[in-house]
Amino acid sequence: MTRTGDRRAWAALALAVAAAPASALADVEFYQTVDRTEVGTDDTFRVTVVVSEAPEGSQVQFPASNDFEQLSRSQSTQMSYSLGGGGSGVIQRVQKWVLVLRANRAGNLTLPPAVLVTPNHTYKTEALKLTVKPGRVSDPNAARAQRPPNPFQGFPGFGFPEDTDEPRAGMPEPEIPRSDSDLFLKAYLDKEELYVGEQATLSLYVFSRLDLSSVDALTMPKLEGFWSEDLDSPSQLVGEQRLVGGVPYRAFLLKRRVLFPVRAGALTVQPAEAEITTGFLFAGRRLHRKGNAVEVKVKPLPPGGPANATSVGRWRLSEEVSQTQVNLGEPITVKVALEGQGNLKTVVLPPLTAPPALKVYDPTTTDKATSSRGVMGGRRLQEYLVMPQQTGTFTVPGLVFDYFDSETGRYESSRTDPFSVTVLPGANGVSATASGPRFPAALEDPAQKNKLELTGLRPLRYQARFQSPEVPLWTRPFFLPVAAGAPAAFLGALLLGMARTALTTEDAAKKKRKQARAARARLAAAEKLKAAGRPDQFYGEVEKALLGFLDAKLGQPVAGLTRDRLMEVMAAAGVSEDRRRSIAAALEVCEMGRYAPGGGNAARGQALDQAAAAMEGWDAR
Amino acid sequence: MTAALLLASVLSQAYYTPAEAQAVFGQANDAYYKEDYAAAQQGFQKLLDHGYGGSDVLYNLGTLYLAKGRLGEAVLYLERARRAGRAADVEGNLAMAKAKQLDQVVGAAAEEPFLQRVVAATSEPFFSWAFLVLWVGAFAGFGLFLVLRPGRRGWALAAGALALFAALGAGSVSAVHYTVATTVTEAVVLAPELKAREFPKDSGKVSFEVHAGLKVRLLETAGPFVRIRLPNGLEGWTEKDGVAAL
Repeated sequence: MTRTGDRRAWAALALAVAAAPASALADVEFYQTVDRTEVGTDDTFRVTVVVSEAPEGSQVQFPASNDFEQLSRSQSTQMSYSLGGGGSGVIQRVQKWVLVLRANRAGNLTLPPAVLVTPNHTYKTEALKLTVKPGRVSDPNAARAQRPPNPFQGFPGFGFPEDTDEPRAGMPEPEIPRSDSDLFLKAYLDKEELYVGEQATLSLYVFSRLDLSSVDALTMPKLEGFWSEDLDSPSQLVGEQRLVGGVPYRAFLLKRRVLFPVRAGALTVQPAEAEITTGFLFAGRRLHRKGNAVEVKVKPLPPGGPANATSVGRWRLSEEVSQTQVNLGEPITVKVALEGQGNLKTVVLPPLTAPPALKVYDPTTTDKATSSRGVMGGRRLQEYLVMPQQTGTFTVPGLVFDYFDSETGRYESSRTDPFSVTVLPGANGVSATASGPRFPAALEDPAQKNKLELTGLRPLRYQARFQSPEVPLWTRPFFLPVAAGAPAAFLGALLLGMARTALTTEDAAKKKRKQARAARARLAAAEKLKAAGRPDQFYGEVEKALLGFLDAKLGQPVAGLTRDRLMEVMAAAGVSEDRRRSIAAALEVCEMGRYAPGGGNAARGQALDQAAAAMEGWDAR
Repeated sequence: MTAALLLASVLSQAYYTPAEAQAVFGQANDAYYKEDYAAAQQGFQKLLDHGYGGSDVLYNLGTLYLAKGRLGEAVLYLERARRAGRAADVEGNLAMAKAKQLDQVVGAAAEEPFLQRVVAATSEPFFSWAFLVLWVGAFAGFGLFLVLRPGRRGWALAAGALALFAALGAGSVSAVHYTVATTVTEAVVLAPELKAREFPKDSGKVSFEVHAGLKVRLLETAGPFVRIRLPNGLEGWTEKDGVAAL
């Protein structure tokens, strides 16, 4: 709503016209208007009751109905003066009331007429018909309701600078509660949707149309799912004028906290509660009020980011080294600083890593939290003490801090450059050695020893001998055949030998039998020579038959052996003595017959019989 | 099938010449020292994929994973390197990896079982080849004994008996290798965190959790689950993909 003048100016004008002649007053005019005919149950609307030239002692009865709730009422008076045709002036006094109402239910409702009761007459306005829908209905007058630029803005005595229909930036216009509409708590969150770890600001206000004395106890809700920290806790109540749905309120900030959600999902900030004292001194009243819950949607960080990028905000990493060339035993200070916007308390700086030759001690950490325009941030400083352990030049790798920038929606990295440190043997080391002392001080100081310690990973192997993955020998196809084949081959050879021996033994017996048969055959042939008149041939054949028989039976050639040797061989072969004598006698007869063939057929027949008897009785020996 | 595998093996061996393989190895080493771990890993892995394995490649790959902080893979490849040949650097980095391992198996024997210690201390190819040669030699000696004339063959019998005795010794060691290889399957936990359940089901109650780098024994499989046994006898079913056999 816009007011068109200063209250004090209007009051002065009213005093001036009060002295004017009563005859100059015009007729009574009385009516009421509404700024919209279609509203929602959650909307407020304005009814303007205007009365012009109301007589002294008049009373206005405003429209009252159970279907409507009156949220506020304001009054203004306007007086104008104009010259009439007869030269006398005409003063017109117009009084205007603006009622802010809200429907209690949906439907086609009728707002009763307003009534003006004068000493002489009673006036009524027309009733107003409204269509009320559940919830909210867009206000067609909203665009027109925007305030035009006020050319007198800032000049004292003009306008009402504290009156504004525009909500404060970041603070939506609150909904007036149906009960306790004179005094209520309202919590705002500056974001409806944010990422895990991103900052949101929770503001808690008390809206009042009463005289607020103090807020005695404020109970903030448990902020489950959030990491929170106070940003603003006013020690004194400082109000500011606010129009809420056309109703003037004074809004007092009670608390402002920054919230950093720690998990994704739909999170709810539960209502705050407060004990509030209104009025002053003996008229004071203590009221309990409970605020509203606020919901916020928390999104997880987008996938695909670095694993250690858990911080959200905008950060810059820096590093500072006290010196890059030191003597052995002298420490170096490395300061690692992270500064920017975000939740400083939860950031984790990348640890300083160095070669084993540089011993890094645990850092000391200093935090300096700041807030700028409600955005939390600050600076975290970690100070490392680095003690060289060996001489040489060593490179300390740069650090990387990964974070998620919620404004750009991208993962970012802040890096520091690697730096090198040169460690020298020390002033008391080499020079002292050169100057003569046998054991210089540096060599006695453990801190200045060039410590050669087996630490860290063993280095990679420089050259490779490549091997195929080893397959156990027993899985190779030749293993079993070879392993089983060796004993099998041996057994085979053994069996073959035995078989061969067996076969060979059989052949010798056959041969003996064959030889024996041949000997007998030869003896039979000799019998044919008996009568042929050739005794030498006869006895030769008989002797050959006997010797052949002995060859077969003794298994060895006996031809050529002396008689004694033959006897020994036969004795060794187990031939009985009688048999030996018999054979010896037969051989003797044959020998005598061959060299002294004087005997007749009878002698030859006797020799033949002796040889046959020796041969025939052999197997029975 | 066998012929196809053999052909594939021959082809894979021919992927690099020895000089090329050595160059890939050197490039991977250079990448490691420039902290380009991805390129170094790719190089070592390529060599392994194409049959150019061995203790050196396995050790370097394990050390690379250790530098990257991938404890499971680090222990896996260092253990494989250890199996391919014990060396001080392997033992050193393996000890460092195990020191970083999260799990403490309470009640585990200080040493591995006897058979596994025998396997760890002996070379399977050496003893298997020794067994095979001595075994064949022993029976060859016996065969000679049969063939040679009496009086000149006693040495063959003695040599055969001696070889047989030695073959049985080597064969015992080889048999231990065979027994361990066919009955004991060791594995390393690769997943950062792995739940061991009472039953091989997702709904099974979780008995305990193990973490990357822990060496376990695989007992049996059931679908996507495998039953593991810790050195102290603790057993549970866990996801097969979370472990890798040595």
